[in-house]
Amino acid sequence: MIIAKVKPLEEIKDMVKDYPKVLNVGCAGCTAVCLAGGQKEVDTLNTQLNSSFKADKVSFQVDGFTVERQCEMQFLAELDKIAGQYNAFLSMGCGAGVQFLAERFPRIPVFPAVNTSFVGVNKDIGWYEERCSSCGDCVLGITGGICPVTMCAKGLFNGPCGGPEDGHCEVDKDIPCAWVNIYERLKEQGRLENILKIFPARDWQNQIQGKIILEPYKKRYIK
Amino acid sequence: MTTPEVKSIDKEKIKDILNDKKGKMKLSLFVCAHCGLCAESCPLYRAHDRNPEYMPSYKVINSLGKLYKKIKKLDRNFLEEIKELIWKNCVLCGRCYCPLGIDIPSMIALARGVCRSQGISGVYPHSLGAPEEDFPEALSHIGVSEKE
Amino acid sequence: MKSGSNLEKILSQGKFAVTGELGPPQGSDINIIKEKSKHLRGMVDAVNITDNQTAVIRMSSWAAAIVAIQEGLEPNYQMVCRDRNRLAMQSDILGAYALGIRDMLCLSGDHQIFGNHPYAKKVFDIDSMQLISMVKKMRDEGKFLNGDDIVEPPKMFIGAAANPFGDPYDFRVFRLAKKIEAGADFIQTQCIYNMDIFRNWVKQANDMGLTEKVYILAGVTPMKGVGMARYMQKNVPGLDVPDWLIKRLRGVEKKKQASEGIKICCEQIEEFKEMKGIAGVHIMAIEWEQRVPEIAEQAKLLPRPKV
Repeated sequence: MIIAKVKPLEEIKDMVKDYPKVLNVGCAGCTAVCLAGGQKEVDTLNTQLNSSFKADKVSFQVDGFTVERQCEMQFLAELDKIAGQYNAFLSMGCGAGVQFLAERFPRIPVFPAVNTSFVGVNKDIGWYEERCSSCGDCVLGITGGICPVTMCAKGLFNGPCGGPEDGHCEVDKDIPCAWVNIYERLKEQGRLENILKIFPARDWQNQIQGKIILEPYKKRYIK
Repeated sequence: MTTPEVKSIDKEKIKDILNDKKGKMKLSLFVCAHCGLCAESCPLYRAHDRNPEYMPSYKVINSLGKLYKKIKKLDRNFLEEIKELIWKNCVLCGRCYCPLGIDIPSMIALARGVCRSQGISGVYPHSLGAPEEDFPEALSHIGVSEKE
Repeated sequence: MKSGSNLEKILSQGKFAVTGELGPPQGSDINIIKEKSKHLRGMVDAVNITDNQTAVIRMSSWAAAIVAIQEGLEPNYQMVCRDRNRLAMQSDILGAYALGIRDMLCLSGDHQIFGNHPYAKKVFDIDSMQLISMVKKMRDEGKFLNGDDIVEPPKMFIGAAANPFGDPYDFRVFRLAKKIEAGADFIQTQCIYNMDIFRNWVKQANDMGLTEKVYILAGVTPMKGVGMARYMQKNVPGLDVPDWLIKRLRGVEKKKQASEGIKICCEQIEEFKEMKGIAGVHIMAIEWEQRVPEIAEQAKLLPRPKV
């Protein structure tokens, strides 16, 4: 799922310091799962902001409201009745949610309180790792389930480069070399021929903003 | 052994939330024909061997339905009871289909909203089976200064 | 002849080739290139011009390569995949060829995090294998990557790198095979210190018939002293510096360590001359170009053949 990390307090304060009454909108979806922007995080951040601005003697008040998901207008609709009371919104949803929020309330400045970081997995509570770059052209079947775009620091398709040592990437000793892993995985499955062939140059997808309308639903939206 | 202090709930706030959508919700609860078609479209129902506790209609009737029925006698325990139904048994994927046009996701969402207003929220991550860790520094990563 | 370059002629005539290395300056002063060229002229058959090596910004390799030509050297124009996409690459190759460059080395490139602009956006639009294929396609089919015809296609002698020491070790010779299939004409290896592992790799390459399809130049870097040896053992990714080397350097007094390093280097070159499957040596005396004449002399590589 989407993993995000809350921004440092100073950065958030700097964004909202000129708005005396702010609503911090949380998200019970991805950012709640990765402990970045769910209700508890909203409450905690609000406590910090209120007390910090009070100590600075700046007139400021932030309330919280957590919606199911910020990436669906149906759930953002819950804010319609109370939006008018606020000068600005903080959003603890991912970048997509922030934009939907801004789209729904175009006259209210919206500020992101988290940095949307990557599409990844929950290794364990509080520990998240990137796995997918949303490249739009998945080759995981060929590379034994290890993504060369995301897990190789150089995104090589005919790796490894000359850098790996003791199975780790030249960039960081704690990062395994994706191609060493791909090699071992395919070797174990008896599918090494996959990487003995040359992967030709890719036609990179997602170079413009993506949009998918599923075929069976096209007639609903396209006249 | 001291009994833990149970925080009381704000019944007025809950009433406000429920009354706000009373018309639509009560009608929806009323017209449900118990046809079970919503169950067929629920991925969780199908994944749990068609356990009736995963039927969308069941979930809604036993959460939101009961909230409207018990509105005068609500307490925190009840909210904790329906927590599983509306969070563990439902992921709000929105696939539930109702031939009568009942907006089931919005009903689950409303029930969740009521719980949240009292500080009760879903447990993440479900898949690990373990409850959210509750230790003093659990939220210490929020509102941190850059220098730390 | 694929390109007609000096390096190609020497290799195709079965003569033991010698290449060197030149890092462009971190500024626009071409006198630095001229100074380095002085030491290398007549000592090597071609000289690698590095491309933003270790992701530190230097004068572009094509520009420095042209200066090298003006200084009487044949440049081996290095291009990395880190900074350029396929458009910029094909465009640069056309320009390079138009201005007289004939040898090219296709590399992945060190990750930008190592360099002086660590937060730059990485490119890696195509990888080194795909770059080799692309340059071959431009030369042999006269076409761009997308299949369009090129008016006056560039005809480069295509080089690639090989690291006999990197992980996964068993896969390295297969990767060499892939590079040959993609179109590599010559290979330069990472600098070699562990001769046992290297001999094993060459044997595998010989057994697979790869050494008949490509010219392999064994890489060497003379150690300036024990400090350098220890640093490279610890910090340079993909490099295997054995303990005996450090011990040998330590066994000599400090001011004689550089000469000892050169001596070891020349011993290696002697072995490479006799090694089946090795077509030459690539001397990487980085920021030590002034010692290259001494190495070339001591290793009996002079005079360089005129072809």
